[in-house]
Amino acid sequence: MSATARLLAQGLGPGRPLRVLAASGQLGYGVPEAALKAGIARAPHFIGCDMGSIDVGPYYLGAGKLATTEVVTKRDLRLVLKAAVGLGVPLLIGTAGTAGAAPHLARTRAFIHEIAEEEGLSFRMATIHADMPRALLREMAAAGRTRPLGRIAALDPATIDRAAHIVGQMGTEAFIRALRTEPDVILAGRACDTAIFAAIPQMLGYAPGPATHMAKIIECTSICCTPGGRDAILGTLENESFVLESMNPARAATPVSVAAHSLYEQADPLHVHEPDGAVDLSAARYERLDDRRTRVSGATWQPTLRSTIKVEGAEWCGERAVLLAGSCDPRVIENAEAIIRGVRANVADIMPPDPARPYELFFHVYGKGATSLFAAVPAAAEEIFFLVEVIAPTMETAHSAASVTKQYLLHHGFPGRLSTGGNIAFPFTPPELPVGSAYRFSIYHVTECDDLASVFPVEVETIGAG
Amino acid sequence: MYGYSILRMSEQPNITVPGEKLTDIAQVIRSKNAGPLHVTLDVMFPDRPSYERARQSPALAAEAIARLYKVEPAFVSVIPYSAAHAIKVTIDRPIVAGTPGDADVYGAQQHLLLLGIVL
Repeated sequence: MSATARLLAQGLGPGRPLRVLAASGQLGYGVPEAALKAGIARAPHFIGCDMGSIDVGPYYLGAGKLATTEVVTKRDLRLVLKAAVGLGVPLLIGTAGTAGAAPHLARTRAFIHEIAEEEGLSFRMATIHADMPRALLREMAAAGRTRPLGRIAALDPATIDRAAHIVGQMGTEAFIRALRTEPDVILAGRACDTAIFAAIPQMLGYAPGPATHMAKIIECTSICCTPGGRDAILGTLENESFVLESMNPARAATPVSVAAHSLYEQADPLHVHEPDGAVDLSAARYERLDDRRTRVSGATWQPTLRSTIKVEGAEWCGERAVLLAGSCDPRVIENAEAIIRGVRANVADIMPPDPARPYELFFHVYGKGATSLFAAVPAAAEEIFFLVEVIAPTMETAHSAASVTKQYLLHHGFPGRLSTGGNIAFPFTPPELPVGSAYRFSIYHVTECDDLASVFPVEVETIGAG
Repeated sequence: MYGYSILRMSEQPNITVPGEKLTDIAQVIRSKNAGPLHVTLDVMFPDRPSYERARQSPALAAEAIARLYKVEPAFVSVIPYSAAHAIKVTIDRPIVAGTPGDADVYGAQQHLLLLGIVL
């Protein structure tokens, strides 16, 4: 009997407490083991882990690579696989391999196969793919059924074609479809963080408002506590309410700390949008149960009439090389803007840009406001740092531009210059370094969808001896 | 102005104290992306009275934040969230997170300007 079949046979449902263990909000950075063990001892009905995020930037989605290392990723996967198989409960993993596109899913799946073999584990695994069919997306864009999720251009066919990878965020529908195949483990591509934890409650008939609210909080594990941290958290869903308890005794889920979590990385703290509806938190109540536990209720669910999918895509935009150097000369600091203008002219002279395939030179001058996205300039520093970034069609061009910039920045003459030995200090050589391919998010849109099942297909396999 | 404050204070105990700095009363002033197209700033207060004083301050109105960050008012939203004694400010990013030329991929260091606010 599979873990899912066992779960479904327990007669769980509204009024009967459902214990959900959130083991990791970002699998692959090191799951704290003591709290995971404490969570296992509480006999959870299932274990969920989030493994990805868009927050890490466009590189991982574009390049098809994991942000986490093989060693730590396998360590974490091993811990949660052994825990779930040992308890005989379902394990749900969302946004496999950082970004959840085909290469991320394949790599994570290979790790799981290796671990199963090394540990002698056997289980049934459902894999859910999340690569957005391009033809469908083109069709939706042409029909005016897509829209940008902020200040990004409307979706056009060329953007769809250029993207290295495009994923859709699956919701509970895909997980429930996978659960019907009665797996022990679900490995999902790009998924809404909430869907990992809300699918089973929804399948068992728990009220969707509180279930989704609980999912939204526990997907970040103990970040909702004071002090916040990465330890596993146990969410116990009753029906109209749920109770939160960190599996690290040093962390307390208090009414204010839990309520405050609704703000975290959300543009709007009162509404959480899901593919099939939205949670309204305006009437949410947070009650202290004891020093470390809070009961939450009051979230309401508004289903949408038409399913939507949040779509993310990244495209290659060049090869990146950087130059690293500092300066403490007051005249260099004072004249930095003029020096940069001069150096740009020198570089353009030595390497005339090809108008069809230009390279770009960015000067990030730390100590002069380089950290700010807005027009904020902090007080002048006594030491500044030049991070020069080149994005070019080839690494040869990027590296060459960084190299030429280095030499001209070092020796650029300007009125009032005293330090004719050099304007900048290099922390090491070579100070100009090839970084690799650069990507940018080209798609961050929402599309309507008439057939979710075709976008998020499920594949089932038996791993190990059985 | 002083007389006006006294009058208002008698009606509304939470009225802003003149000259009070945001950093004097806020417990958390943080920034982070909310997706790659928005930066969201959370200002959290230890209790209801300090939250109410900040909430009523014109210095935390969307127009004032837009002037402070030198962006169009349409790109700024301010949402008070009483359950957490917090005020959320969301601003459209001038550049999509991680695009070459970006300054802060996670958006975690965009709160500096809030530190200078006088309520």
